[in-house]
Amino acid sequence: MSGETADGPRYIGPKRPDRTLGGNHDTFWDWCGKGELRLQRCGNCNHLHWPVTVRKCESCGEQAFTWEPMSGRGKVVSWTTFQQDYYRGLMAVPYDTILVELDEGPLFMSNPQGFSWQDLSPEMPVKLAFLDAEDSAGTFKLPVFERG
Amino acid sequence: MPPSDPALSRKVSIVGVGETDFGADYQAERKRPEGWVPPTEESLLTNAFERALADSGLSREDIDGVTCSFTYGGPPAEEVAKMLGIKARYAEANGNIMAGPLPTACAAIAEGKADCIAMVFAVASRSAGRLFGGMTHSTGGVPDPDGEGGAPASYYYFHPWGWSSQAAHWALIFAHFQWKYGVGEEDLYHVAAQVRRHAMARDNAVMRKELTLEDYLASRYIVRPLHLFDICIVNDGAVCLIIRRADLAKGLAHVPVDVAGWGYSKIKQNKMHTMVREQLRPQLQAASTDALAMAGVTLDQIQHFEGYDASSFHLINQVEGIGFTPPGTGLAFCKDGQMTVGGRIPTNTSGGNLSHAYMQGWSQVVQAVRQLRGEAGQYQVPGIEVSMTNLAQTDQTHPIVYVRGDR
Repeated sequence: MSGETADGPRYIGPKRPDRTLGGNHDTFWDWCGKGELRLQRCGNCNHLHWPVTVRKCESCGEQAFTWEPMSGRGKVVSWTTFQQDYYRGLMAVPYDTILVELDEGPLFMSNPQGFSWQDLSPEMPVKLAFLDAEDSAGTFKLPVFERG
Repeated sequence: MPPSDPALSRKVSIVGVGETDFGADYQAERKRPEGWVPPTEESLLTNAFERALADSGLSREDIDGVTCSFTYGGPPAEEVAKMLGIKARYAEANGNIMAGPLPTACAAIAEGKADCIAMVFAVASRSAGRLFGGMTHSTGGVPDPDGEGGAPASYYYFHPWGWSSQAAHWALIFAHFQWKYGVGEEDLYHVAAQVRRHAMARDNAVMRKELTLEDYLASRYIVRPLHLFDICIVNDGAVCLIIRRADLAKGLAHVPVDVAGWGYSKIKQNKMHTMVREQLRPQLQAASTDALAMAGVTLDQIQHFEGYDASSFHLINQVEGIGFTPPGTGLAFCKDGQMTVGGRIPTNTSGGNLSHAYMQGWSQVVQAVRQLRGEAGQYQVPGIEVSMTNLAQTDQTHPIVYVRGDR
């Protein structure tokens, strides 16, 4: 069900290593569950956060967040393909990861859906999709990216 | 760790160094002959300490302080002092990686807490079978002090996408660099090969076989585009540095090596951007500028550099970021021989983390001392007076400048 194929993109299964949960992390995943990618915007200095911050703004130290919806558009900035089985068989290797610059600015680590690293080119446009995934806390929607 | 302060420059000298038998111990761990006993932090650090003590020519009674740095586990500092037979009036657990520990110990001596400190680092991560990625390397929901209140460090945040590990950081940075500057994996080969050539001249290096381009390209990927040989080795070992008040450091067994300057920079926001787009340059620049200013030397005066080659490409980040060569030129610089003796900046002349030993930055300090004493053998830099080491992780960097104590 996964692995490198001769001519098609590889498919990564739904089983995933555990998310970070609790507090604001839960809010992020709740929005994903509704099919929305939302990140924290600081109401004081306007800094847009990723990863989720639990306590305070990494830029100004204030705690006035709003959850802002992202457009879901972005471009690929870099990529890595895992051959080492760091997750002990949970995710069959090899699998691809891409670093996407969202149109709103943050760099978002994700997986490509429907294409693989051989298809990548610098600044390739991509668009948000959600994958049905599962970790030890249950099922969830994982933000991934398709060709844009 | 103490901030850069010219008043603390050259107040403390390194007077003794000791390392365990990295190569022999690695072979023993792989073969596990009958009767083989896995090393412990205690056995390793005792060995390194006895060697450093002998190297310094001091007696045990001259030492009145101990600091300990263990990556995982290890006994408390007071217990280590007792174990080593040291009457310590200063005993501290002091970090693990060679970031804060040396400047912190130098400041302790400057403050009169001790006159002579044995600093020990030990790690038994290979025999313990530790992985440097995946769920074994996670805060597991426990708030990380660096995570600003509950988020794990960026390293381990991306588990649901299958992204973690030190290797993945350098792979991500290199993949972007490849696009930006149009270089290939065979260009990166030269870094691993150069560091390996240096290790081949070292008796106690773990990796001593010549690394050919064919071997390199045929090796498995860890995280593409990085191959096995782009990633540091994992081995057991210990390092001990004996440091002493500079005015008490003359007339000993060796030329003292003065700790002349240090710097520190940690980026707290937009880590991915700083890593990937800026190749860590902002913090490398900020920290090295401070270290050089504290030492009272210019970058041009640095004659030898020991960087933290957790991966081959990370060494290029540092050589470019500190300013030995302009951004984007590091791989050509290395291929051109500028990172070995006779080139602009002989780098990782002991074989680094990639081929000599992965002692989390501590062996780099030992090699700076050996270079400044003139004990570096085949890759000795002639006429050297000033050296620099640099520890650099993904979000923090920490250079230290050393000067021969007789200059």
